[in-house]
Amino acid sequence: MIVLDGTHGEGGGQILRTALSLSLLTGAAFTLERVRGGRSRPGLLRQHLCAVQAAASIGGAYVEGAELGSQRVLFAPSGQLAGGTYRFAIGSAGSAMLVLQTVLVPLLHADGPSTVTLEGGTHNPMAPPLPFLQSSFLPLLRRMGADVRLRLDRPGFYPAGGGRAVLEVTPSTLRPVEVRRGSGVTVRAVATVANLPPSIAERELKKLRRQLREHAPTLEQEELTASLSPGNLVRVEVEHGDEVACFVGFGERRRRAENVAARVAGQVLRWLESGAAVEEHLADQLLLPMAWAGGGAFDVDVLSEHTRTNVHTIAQFMDVPVTLEERGEGAGVRVGRNALR
Amino acid sequence: MSDTKRLVVLGIVGATLDSGKGAKRWEKWRPTVSLGQMEDLLPHRIELLVEPKFTALGRQVVEDLGAVAPDCTVQLHGTNFADPWDFEEVWRTLYEFARSHRFDPENEEYLLHITTGTHVQQICMFLLAESRHIPARLLQTSPITRRDRRERQDRRVGRYSIIDLDLSKYDSIAQRFDAERAEGVSLLKQGIPTRNAAFNRMMDQIERVALASTAPILLTGPTGAGKTRLAKRIYSLRSQRRTVTGDYVEVNCATLRGDAAMSALFGHTRGAFTGAVSDRAGLLKAADGGLVFLDEIGELGLDEQAMLLRAIEEGVFVPLGADREVRSDFQLIAGTNKDLVVAVGRGEFRSDLLARINLWTFRLPGLSERIEDLEPNLEFELESFARHQGRRIAFNAEARTRYLDFATGAEATWAGNFRDLNASVTRMGTLAPGARITADVVDEEVTRLRSDWRDVGDETGAPTSFGACRALVAEVLGDEVAQSVDRFELVQLADVFGVCRRSRTMSEAGRRLFAESRKARSKTNDADRIRKYLLKWGVTFAEVTTK
Repeated sequence: MIVLDGTHGEGGGQILRTALSLSLLTGAAFTLERVRGGRSRPGLLRQHLCAVQAAASIGGAYVEGAELGSQRVLFAPSGQLAGGTYRFAIGSAGSAMLVLQTVLVPLLHADGPSTVTLEGGTHNPMAPPLPFLQSSFLPLLRRMGADVRLRLDRPGFYPAGGGRAVLEVTPSTLRPVEVRRGSGVTVRAVATVANLPPSIAERELKKLRRQLREHAPTLEQEELTASLSPGNLVRVEVEHGDEVACFVGFGERRRRAENVAARVAGQVLRWLESGAAVEEHLADQLLLPMAWAGGGAFDVDVLSEHTRTNVHTIAQFMDVPVTLEERGEGAGVRVGRNALR
Repeated sequence: MSDTKRLVVLGIVGATLDSGKGAKRWEKWRPTVSLGQMEDLLPHRIELLVEPKFTALGRQVVEDLGAVAPDCTVQLHGTNFADPWDFEEVWRTLYEFARSHRFDPENEEYLLHITTGTHVQQICMFLLAESRHIPARLLQTSPITRRDRRERQDRRVGRYSIIDLDLSKYDSIAQRFDAERAEGVSLLKQGIPTRNAAFNRMMDQIERVALASTAPILLTGPTGAGKTRLAKRIYSLRSQRRTVTGDYVEVNCATLRGDAAMSALFGHTRGAFTGAVSDRAGLLKAADGGLVFLDEIGELGLDEQAMLLRAIEEGVFVPLGADREVRSDFQLIAGTNKDLVVAVGRGEFRSDLLARINLWTFRLPGLSERIEDLEPNLEFELESFARHQGRRIAFNAEARTRYLDFATGAEATWAGNFRDLNASVTRMGTLAPGARITADVVDEEVTRLRSDWRDVGDETGAPTSFGACRALVAEVLGDEVAQSVDRFELVQLADVFGVCRRSRTMSEAGRRLFAESRKARSKTNDADRIRKYLLKWGVTFAEVTTK
């Protein structure tokens, strides 16, 4: 039995989600002690509970401590990963995308194709929002060999939730991949509003156009209907070679649209300047599929605590070395024994 | 999970807090919806009481809870609180709900959400949980402050706390209710920190009665004791707690005579009598949903009394000249300085009306009966002089001592009670040179007060009318004794009690009561004579002076 300490590294829900995915993939049971022990409200929150329940249902797992506030979780999968039709409804507080993140790679190794309906938050500032997955993470995963599609039926913004997205996964094998900064970049800026005046999107785009003028971004305005609550986000997609780096900022009450846009622009410029292939959030997501594929490499401009925690958690489940070659805030990340280069 | 109990939240759909239109409603903190948005709370079921007129709002809350908490079932219970601000009504309705509701504490754990609903509903829920009629812990929700959002990056929708009454961890709530009660009492006393224990006790009672009941209240006591002020304050208190919606109407019955009385109170139709050139709604109609203070109710004519009785009992009356009844739902506060029992005996007051308004009777003592409150009231009068005149005045130290010595001494009868005090302060304030009340100003004022009171009542403080004698004896010895004592004895008793009350010690009382015979004696022990006399009636000096 693998025993994990919930206070390690980032100390939040990331260690649980990564452990659940790896447990499903490897069939190894684990106990997570001191769940979210470092937080002001320790123990499982609703979104974590949903992830545990979702993982348990696809892996036929035996679970202990699957209740709110629980500070110890035991998870023992059956070893079988059942493809099929699932529906996971997550309350507004958590993002449905985090549950997606937990079950996605395991479902690639299920005994049949799956259709997963995810209900809840799809555009949530505290998690990778759906447009990020669609534009950046999933294309890369497809390039690694995954057969996955993600469709948005209805957007769900924080705090109302009520969104719906459908994930289709056909079992497939992941291949190692090295991600490099492509030559030449195409920048696309998209400002999205739901139940809010389009002027917010216009102001954000105006700011982005000015700040990113060197890169001549194309500007797009998007209005989402059918959202229960108001919502606003701006994203910048930077296409380089075969890859897309995606940067997202959320509008909030009492936060100026210009500030939301300026912050995203700052991240874009820093990443462009760094020469790294991958930005911070994609790096978090990539480690697990790369480890499972047995190899991969990329440079990241900012090495986050999430990424470090993932490295640590992966080492508990798999005998795949992950090396971090830190350079300033960023790092060169290498997964697997056989150098790709 | 099967090994833990299902969590069930009970609450009331909040007409204000839970409301919100369009997508914007999600930007607002809505307590009941927030129950489904907490990251660390997962109700299995939420049961909500909803008033029929708020059904649409209730449905929206159910729908929104469905979005944020897809696995939670929400049930609406249409519940009619005829008046959600009426204590008895709310208590009865919630009590019946609690009794008829099937609780399953073996398998379910209950939380009672007390953040929404009227103030009265919240108190009743608290009490029902405290008395275990509802086997629940209390759940309070609150929004995240703007400051926490900004400084601590708190992105939660709201927070909650659970209070387990069994564990007596409810001090903060109990204190909240206590604090509000204290606030209410203080409002009734106009914020004056009065010291007289009996008076303060009475104010506590009035506060409770005023908030818990809409039954008539009768205020008795000498003129100037503050009946009108108190009636107004009761209205302010109820209005502040939103247990009254209509207006405050005040009328002195001594000013109403004949047709004019009828029409002033109950209204008239055009042409009902000579001079009735147009319809008039009348004061009782004007106070619909509000409060009427009828001062000197003993002066009301018998016809008006009959009409008033029906208006109190059934909420209807017939305006002069009208052929249809008019409905008005008002609370009555009556004031009198007359002994209404005596008035009934003389056939001047209807006994059935007295019985109806006599449910909550409070006798406001005169100023001299609670002389320890003179000082705080003096402060109050100085404050209110400053407020009205825009000029702050103060005593100098010597003047203050001199004034208080006189004002609390035996000489000061305060025959006109608080009205006299008010007039006295106004005079001194107006005459004060440079906003300072000097010893000279006080001396002048004392002379003036002495002459004002010279021919009024009895300088020893003994009651001067038979009614007052009986009231005083009743106050000290109880109604039963007062009614069984002969007039012959009663008058003497009242005189002794009155003098005792105005004396600081038994010896001082003795000096006054036996002033003549003392001259002939070399040795005196008048205190002992008084002690024995009082003992015969089963009371001590201390009891007479403090009761």
